[in-house]
Amino acid sequence: MTYTLNVAHLYGDLMNTYGDVGNILALNYYAKQMDVKLNVKIVSLEEDFRAADFDLAFFGGGQDFEQTIVAKDIQTKKAELIKFIESGGPLLAICGGYQLLGHYYIGADGEKLPGIGALDHYTLAQDNHRFIGDIVIKNQETGETYHGFENHQGRTFIGKGERPLGNVVSGKGNNGEDGTEGAIYKNVYCSYFHGPILTRNGDIAKHLLVAALKRKFPQDDFSQQEALPIPATF
Amino acid sequence: MSLRSGVATFAGKSSYWFLHTFLHGGSSLPGKITLKLDPHILRSLGAKYDVIVITGTNGKTLTTALTVSVLHEKYPSILTNPTGSNMEQGIVTTFLNAQRPKTGRPLAVLEVDEANVIKVTKYIQPKAFVFTNIFRDQMDRYGEIYTTYQKILDGVALAPDATIIANGDSPIFNSKQLPNPIQYYGFDNQPDRDFKAKPNTDGVLCPHCQHILHYHSLTYSNQGKYFCPNCGFERPELTYRLTKLGEQTPTSSQFDVDGHAFEIHVGGTYNIYNALAAYSVGRFLGVEPQQIAHAFTANERVFGRQEVIDVDGKQVTIILVKNPVGLDQVLHMIGTDKQAFSFVGLLNANYADGIDTSWIWDGDFEQLADLNIPTFITGGERYKDITFRLKVAGVPDDKHIVEPSLEKVVDRIKEVPTDRVYVLATYTAMLQLRKILASKGYIKEGLGV
Repeated sequence: MTYTLNVAHLYGDLMNTYGDVGNILALNYYAKQMDVKLNVKIVSLEEDFRAADFDLAFFGGGQDFEQTIVAKDIQTKKAELIKFIESGGPLLAICGGYQLLGHYYIGADGEKLPGIGALDHYTLAQDNHRFIGDIVIKNQETGETYHGFENHQGRTFIGKGERPLGNVVSGKGNNGEDGTEGAIYKNVYCSYFHGPILTRNGDIAKHLLVAALKRKFPQDDFSQQEALPIPATF
Repeated sequence: MSLRSGVATFAGKSSYWFLHTFLHGGSSLPGKITLKLDPHILRSLGAKYDVIVITGTNGKTLTTALTVSVLHEKYPSILTNPTGSNMEQGIVTTFLNAQRPKTGRPLAVLEVDEANVIKVTKYIQPKAFVFTNIFRDQMDRYGEIYTTYQKILDGVALAPDATIIANGDSPIFNSKQLPNPIQYYGFDNQPDRDFKAKPNTDGVLCPHCQHILHYHSLTYSNQGKYFCPNCGFERPELTYRLTKLGEQTPTSSQFDVDGHAFEIHVGGTYNIYNALAAYSVGRFLGVEPQQIAHAFTANERVFGRQEVIDVDGKQVTIILVKNPVGLDQVLHMIGTDKQAFSFVGLLNANYADGIDTSWIWDGDFEQLADLNIPTFITGGERYKDITFRLKVAGVPDDKHIVEPSLEKVVDRIKEVPTDRVYVLATYTAMLQLRKILASKGYIKEGLGV
């Protein structure tokens, strides 16, 4: 293949609930059609994340206990992750991964646990209740409709500089109040969507891959990749 | 028995008789009636029995059935609960329905739902607990594996003298200090190496220092001879060891335990774990290895889930799948078939199936692409999800038939180029398919499990 992208699967051995690894499989599936080879590497506990080593990153959701361990460890990767994000690195963060990119979240036992504050959102908890079910949202800028399955106790409120991934058509979304779901900041896409998100919404996979290609190979023309048709899968 | 318990027992027994005789049913209602009249009824009902409680997320039913078979080799009278009656009401009904044995102290081998262990131990001091495993369920009934284990331990805390017979290959069963005597069973058939579990494996954090566990050997998921390179936490000494793994096919497994040869007429490494658990209980209660070997082959009925259905000459095996660990095991098992076969995947997402289909992405369908399967069929209410899953796994379009309607799936099965067909189906998809097969006369009505 003509192009190679290095992908960091952040804490892929700990943050892997509800089929989130399917996002890596879907990225691979669409990358092949774009003439792109992906080298996926798990970056986990006590391992360095170096922004310069990667062209794309994925950060999935995890169980409560695993997430508390990751919340501690990710502080050691904070500076490099922020560097990656601020320099336009494409990153997809789901559920717990989404929460940890923000300022803080409330753990299962009510404890407030810091994220890395790379993005300006924060996450509260709800008592003995979860948002569970199918969800449909619409992105106002692209007009694209996204399908997913949400299953989260956290209620996330996005902040300055963040746009929602979409507005809720049906389902609960970020917090069940403001009609938003997920967040976009620079080339970072955040969401509570399982399903997994990229298997049902190939357009987002395409956005991530094209952004990574343009960033890594600024001289090349990727109009063909951008024109890749994405048939509906859901 | 107190007067109240006596009245409650009578009411429950009569309702069982009524339901059984006139309605051909009655699995939990008698227990419900009895519990209403006397919430503490298990105390008097269970007092006469030596009770073995079998719990865990996967394999409870088969382990219970196998354990009963094994113990029958030595003990004439054993009470057990039927499939699906593993909550408090069903257990009470089981005791109500029991024939009182004439002599001796009878055994009761009970499959108990994880959260219902405490409802049993509140009134009964079991002789032993069996812990099969704890895997995450896609239905997320009790949440995380740690929460589920804690629910079991809450029940065990009321019975500190009972011996725990646990799967030693599962790290979670070695994570908490307990006052109970503990015996472990596990696989000890491979030379030591040093590696980590596959990245997408659940439950790989050391419970003491939260580093990622390593393995000397591994069977599947997070089960094996684990150790923590950071703090020295490791698999405990095994009391019952699988010392050799022989040939495995979709319908048989050969293996040695503690040097004795065994065979079971069912495939799947997970079923060897079930047999190993039953062996351990048998040995714990003094059943000889030769008797256990006999029990394993003498009771084919125990493995009834994997019947082969003849559909106009095609041998069709329907296998229920409900979570990623089980799914991977089934995929591995059918991969051991030496004959060519076609593959059918049927996905529904009703409550009984799990309403979130995301879990299929945790299953390793990629291994199918290497198996040279000539025809794949995907169907069911969520055929789009399972279709795309196989596409991403590398199944080529020219071998892949997409057929949402299960009626038509049956017609397509008749046309596949192989004699053998494996159908993996979620719960309600399996029921719907069986109904269609029954209406066409290929099987008798009913679940057949």
